[in-house]
Amino acid sequence: MIKITNLEKFYRTEEVETIALNKLTMEVNTGEFVAIMGPSGCGKSTLLNILGMLDDPDEGSYVFNGIEVAHFNERKRADLRKHNIGFVFQSFNLIDELTVFENVELPLIYTGVTAAERVKRVEEVLDKMQIMHRRNHYPQQLSGGQQQRVAIARAVVNKPKLILADEPTGNLDSSNGNDVMELLTDLNEQGTTIIMVTHSEHDARYSHRIIRLLDGQTVMENIMV
Amino acid sequence: MFKNYLKIAFRNLQKQKLYSLINITGLAVGLAVCMMIMLYVTHEMTYDRFHANAKRIYKLQASINIGGNVMNMNYMSYASGPLVKQSQPGVESYMRTLDYFKPVIVSNPLTPETKFKEEKLVFADPAFFNFFTFNLKAGTAGDVLSKPFSVVISQDMAKKYFGDTNPVGKTIRLKTDSAYTYQVTGVAENAPSNSSINYNFVASASSLLAMKEAKNYTGEQSISGGSFNLFLLLKNAADTANTRKSLQHMADNNKGDFKTQYHLSSITSLHLANNFGDFSNLKYLKIFPLVAVLILLLALVNYMSLTTARATLRAKEVGVRKVSGASRKAIAAQFYVESGLFTLLSFTLGYLLCYAFKPWFLNILQLKIDNSFLYSPIVLMFLFGLLLLTALISGIYPSIVLSSFKPVITLKGKLSRQSGGTVVRKVFTTLQFSIAVGLIICGVVIDRQLYYLRHADTGLNRENVVMIPVGNSIGKNYPALNKDVQALAGVSSVATSHYAMYGGYDMFFIEGKTKQESVALASLSVDNKFISTLGLEWKFAPTPNAQLATRTKIVINETAIKDLKLPANPVGSIIDAGNQKLEVAGVVKNFNFSSMESTIGPLGLFIAADTTQAWGTMGCNLFARIKPHTNIPSLIGSIENIYKKYDQETPFSYTFMDDAFDKQYKAEDRLAAIFSTFTYITILLATLGLFGLAAFTIEQRTKEIGIRKILGASMATITTLLSTDFLKLILLSVIIASPVAWYAMHNWLQNFAYRINIPWWVFALAGSMALITAIVTISYHAVKAALANPVNSLRSE
Repeated sequence: MIKITNLEKFYRTEEVETIALNKLTMEVNTGEFVAIMGPSGCGKSTLLNILGMLDDPDEGSYVFNGIEVAHFNERKRADLRKHNIGFVFQSFNLIDELTVFENVELPLIYTGVTAAERVKRVEEVLDKMQIMHRRNHYPQQLSGGQQQRVAIARAVVNKPKLILADEPTGNLDSSNGNDVMELLTDLNEQGTTIIMVTHSEHDARYSHRIIRLLDGQTVMENIMV
Repeated sequence: MFKNYLKIAFRNLQKQKLYSLINITGLAVGLAVCMMIMLYVTHEMTYDRFHANAKRIYKLQASINIGGNVMNMNYMSYASGPLVKQSQPGVESYMRTLDYFKPVIVSNPLTPETKFKEEKLVFADPAFFNFFTFNLKAGTAGDVLSKPFSVVISQDMAKKYFGDTNPVGKTIRLKTDSAYTYQVTGVAENAPSNSSINYNFVASASSLLAMKEAKNYTGEQSISGGSFNLFLLLKNAADTANTRKSLQHMADNNKGDFKTQYHLSSITSLHLANNFGDFSNLKYLKIFPLVAVLILLLALVNYMSLTTARATLRAKEVGVRKVSGASRKAIAAQFYVESGLFTLLSFTLGYLLCYAFKPWFLNILQLKIDNSFLYSPIVLMFLFGLLLLTALISGIYPSIVLSSFKPVITLKGKLSRQSGGTVVRKVFTTLQFSIAVGLIICGVVIDRQLYYLRHADTGLNRENVVMIPVGNSIGKNYPALNKDVQALAGVSSVATSHYAMYGGYDMFFIEGKTKQESVALASLSVDNKFISTLGLEWKFAPTPNAQLATRTKIVINETAIKDLKLPANPVGSIIDAGNQKLEVAGVVKNFNFSSMESTIGPLGLFIAADTTQAWGTMGCNLFARIKPHTNIPSLIGSIENIYKKYDQETPFSYTFMDDAFDKQYKAEDRLAAIFSTFTYITILLATLGLFGLAAFTIEQRTKEIGIRKILGASMATITTLLSTDFLKLILLSVIIASPVAWYAMHNWLQNFAYRINIPWWVFALAGSMALITAIVTISYHAVKAALANPVNSLRSE
């Protein structure tokens, strides 16, 4: 599904050039659950942003589902993204002014799904995440675990092929964290490819493969059994 | 999707109540000013366009050249109408109207004791109501003016003189040169406020011909200047040039003494072209649209500045939406919808404000605009255009800025570095304050100058003098009236003058040896109490027992000595006034007998004894000086009683001399009132703009403030640190605005012969006002930022 080759990303200021990704090459197959780990500043988030088409690389190739996307413009990236990728963030990133239902509905609006179909699909996914009873609440009225479940609901409502999760349990206690990891595992078992950035060895154990980064390069890959 | 945009817009509006309020109000005020000015300008521009034949109606005017001096003739002779129609094949018909030049006294013969002075009596040819589009409520357009002494009255007059009864067929008395009874043949709707033809009474022209003074108006039997407005209905609007040429050809063949030029002006151009009554309106018409655009622009800039300043709050949302699949276009559309909503709310509020303040605004401009005009298609069209334009412009900048946010950054809460626009904001804030400071300076200078004009020593004591116009109807009773008023306890002295003070003077020319030496000498006919009653001072008093009250003696002022090149003490000198030799009997010190916009010109006083009967036949003004501490209303009442004893014909009226003096500066008063209003609005808008800028900039420096606090900075240091940057902008504004304002006011002051020097403190005052306003505005944010717990601000980074 994903094939990146010699990917490079630099951050330049007037005097210093920082290399975030240094000729990184990796592949992720459809249906995989991959964890990316490494110390702060190793390039994890940069990689995730590029994989999510939120950012573009300076050099190298990124093939997504057989399409070279490395030098797509913003409009094309947005178009590809909304049909294929769901995001889960450490800080949930729900819109405070929208209710649970409306937050989850958002991606469907942008992909032009009809209103009746939206209600059906949102309810379906809320049910699956067991937060149907909170559908008319605002994010501030929910616990952290519930908020992250809403965020996951939003990420999957469009049935994306790929979910990118950036430290999804980072703001949660261990019990809520485990719930979230179970949810992601379920999704993966139903066929969704998942790439997750994490600091937690515990969470990484849910994945099939751990890619360890240092200074923008892969230093080790562990296959989980 | 649209629904989702509206939903979030409304929720944001509710959540950010203060900001929303400031934002909407600011834009609403700008829009209200814009609407009001637009209303005024549209009203001025649509004068006389309501006539069905407006495009074919032209007014004939002439100008004659007498020895290099061009004299414009707005009115034509009575005979001109038929003669022009006969000679010009392009003319379909003509219409003559005569605006009776003075107020007439009107009464209903059934209640003869109730009389009013009325203006706007028009004499017109029979076809008046067919020629022009004034609707008749009663009567048939073709018949109403066909007979002598028939009159059509306006709805207002019908109500005033006949109440709810139908006036048609009844009679009404109009006193012109003498009182005539007219038959009311119709009632016309009041003329629209944007009509240059205005009437209370439209009487048949044949009535005028039957009046004693008819020969004054109808004598001339050729196409020439006269007393009538002459409107021509052309067969085709395209005939204008031909008709003009043909008329000119006729004029050139005339073997008259003077060269005549004919002008055909479209009726729709008359109002703005012939603004004889009040030049100031034309001046406003040029300035106002500029002001409207400027104020709207400031309001829009504020709106954009405040909206983008709040962008940090929306950054995460933009990020989430983009991650959820929103394209940049979709985000831009969302903020456009939001701006559209805000604009609509502002527009509604602005319209209400405009409606509420319209009477006040029109009062300042001394203008009347019909309520029905507010709903005329052209006004509605302009309003809609304004709404569209505002929505379009207000959305641009926020849409561009907000849709450009990168989710990679905003979702991590690191917005501040990328939102930019700080320089743009600084430029706008400086501009806004420059305008505000400039207007403050102008406002203060105008105010000072007006104060100076009102309070300057003009050489005569105009306090506590009441002026009573006396009509010729008083006849021989004037001396008795004068004596009775003099006898009142509250009156210290009484004088008589042909004209009211500041109400005019006569002019005659004293020929010098060369043309340049000719002097136009203003003259006033007064009685022998005039000088003492008004407190004029003698420069050279007449010899005791001198008989001033003869037509061969004249009292002059100091300027006249100089202009007429008389000896230093001219008493006894002879002035050669053509057919008459005048002996200078005395010299009064200079005093202002007209507006202080001009210097004191040469003046001669002809003094008549008040016992002569001259006043009785000419009409005059009685000046009564009131003793201090007199109950003025009761004194006026007593004077009125005396007046009514001697004259039941002309209604009693009075003015105070100081009011008459002040009234000369009406145009300047309006300018001052409008200036101060615009100043307040600009200050308000500038303050809002600064408020937005401060919010934005300080928010960007949250982390810096947090670190400084942790390192031990006090609240005072931080507040000062944050405020200094803005205060620099304000100082820059003062530096930019001062010379511009000085230049503008320096030029304006040149209109006045008596004027103030622009004092230095005006600039200091305007600067301090701007600074204080700015400090108060910024403090809100600066103190809030300084008080914030640094732990929070650093964690969010």
